[in-house]
Amino acid sequence: MEVIDSGIGEVRLSDVDEAREWMREKKSRKLVDKVTDEKTAVERFVHDGAYLSYDLSSMVRGPMSLEREIVRQGRKDLWIAAKFTLLDTTLLLAGGCLSKIDVGFAGLGRTLFAAIEEGRIKTIDWSNGTLALRHLAGAMGVPFLPTRALLGTDTFRRSGAKSVRDPFTGKTVCLVPAVHPDVAIIHVNQADRYGNARVFGPSIAPLETAMASRRVIISTEELIDVEEIRRNPGRTTIPYFVVDAVVVAPFGAHPGTVPGLYTYDAGNLDEFFAARDDAAMRRYLDKYVYGVSSHQEYLDLIGADRLAALREAERIREGYYT
Amino acid sequence: MSGASFTDTEFMICLSARSIEDSSTVFVGYGMPQIAAILAQRLYAPGIVQVYEYGAIGPDVATPFRRNMMADARNSRRSFAWTTMNPMFAYASAGFIDYGVLGAAQIDPFGNINSTVIGGTYERPKVRFTGSGGGNEVASLCWRTIILTEHEKRRFVPTLDYMTSPGYLDGTEGARERAGLPRGTGPHRVVTSIAMYDFDPATRRMRIVGTREGCDAKAVCDAMMFEPLVADRVETLAAPTADELRVLREDIDPDRVVIGRA
Repeated sequence: MEVIDSGIGEVRLSDVDEAREWMREKKSRKLVDKVTDEKTAVERFVHDGAYLSYDLSSMVRGPMSLEREIVRQGRKDLWIAAKFTLLDTTLLLAGGCLSKIDVGFAGLGRTLFAAIEEGRIKTIDWSNGTLALRHLAGAMGVPFLPTRALLGTDTFRRSGAKSVRDPFTGKTVCLVPAVHPDVAIIHVNQADRYGNARVFGPSIAPLETAMASRRVIISTEELIDVEEIRRNPGRTTIPYFVVDAVVVAPFGAHPGTVPGLYTYDAGNLDEFFAARDDAAMRRYLDKYVYGVSSHQEYLDLIGADRLAALREAERIREGYYT
Repeated sequence: MSGASFTDTEFMICLSARSIEDSSTVFVGYGMPQIAAILAQRLYAPGIVQVYEYGAIGPDVATPFRRNMMADARNSRRSFAWTTMNPMFAYASAGFIDYGVLGAAQIDPFGNINSTVIGGTYERPKVRFTGSGGGNEVASLCWRTIILTEHEKRRFVPTLDYMTSPGYLDGTEGARERAGLPRGTGPHRVVTSIAMYDFDPATRRMRIVGTREGCDAKAVCDAMMFEPLVADRVETLAAPTADELRVLREDIDPDRVVIGRA
């Protein structure tokens, strides 16, 4: 296949057979209880220098209790896939955890943009769609997938994509390499203790992200029985053998929303947005991340009344729980 | 423009709402594009199907609009389908999506847009923006792209600092197809706070087709860093109607999150 052009972005390539062998050796097919807490899951599966991927964002069904734990444990040098990211990059950056961002959407917040402008963090620009596609390639166990996006732009040039001549038709097509994240963190509505997980509502790429990743931590609003999974298998998004840990995290997406279950905490988000420099961001982290030792303590700090009000304020359940 | 009874954003939203055909599929993102699509649905084109990269197809978006509502339950309610990102861009790539509506920090004469970096170097830009998001896919794969941008001189540049998403590339005939982009796609309109442009079929350059009342083609050109083409007949773009403003201000965005205050 003739390579026409190549992007210059750094890509960490994985060998497809090595990835397969990992899935054979490290992903038990046994039904074993994987329930644990944020602290243990992050200690075991999120290492310094890891490539990290999450699904959706800080605003909507994001794995916020896990992100806060990663910051609390002071992970360093993470490389993340920012596909449909909002505050996540800012939070991890403020915690000193990030060194590289594969950018779909870089995120929001002055501290993030300042860090990029000052060269304190490396960006590799892709697009939301091509990052999602790279996870699909990883999930399929193929080395790359074709797309008709990126072509002709600086986004292509800064990415790690290649354009080639399609061997079937002769047209130019773009290829994006598979990504196999070291660890995925995915917040779901319901899961059983083995890891069978249900996502309700639209989303980015929960299954692709889980299947592509070497380690998968699921945080769940609710722990349900495997019998309930078996009674309605069409609702399972991610099957158990893909999953390494299950963390029970009610309000795990706070201050974001879990659609159909609770709405955003607008006041808390405003506090986050108001932190426009490193000192203010540090105060936010001191209060909500370093000042507590667990997700339960975090929820106590937010307060049961406030959480109940967020649940009350989410009026729409249609399509999620009905 | 100061002194008007409506904001620049309201003007752009109304113009773009009027230019989307009924019963078409429209790829939209947060903010202005989304509000333009909702306004069009309420007043002109009830059959518009809004399509979102986060997996919602055809939601009946709840109003009032709220800050941060992208992908939440009010944004997604009563859709025809809920899916995920890879299928969404597959619909666009397979030819099902008629329009894409995008913003831009910079735009060049061929409708290429920048939403990534301005000034400095890529590694250390003077100003960093969010990057493509799904914009590159939208501009590459939808049939027609509508670009919305505030009319500031510095945004209309002969050469972009960075091309995030493709317009007609170098403007030569067949440039998009040669690059591998789908045949027959590309920018359709540019809507700004004082003008509307199409793209001249012969040269694929931006061409003024309308200007805001009190503003002629010369004034529009003076507010750009490149010289656009000017159509033989330049129409005066109608100001937002009382109906449009009422729906925008009372129903869709009473908190003025996106439309601002006149």
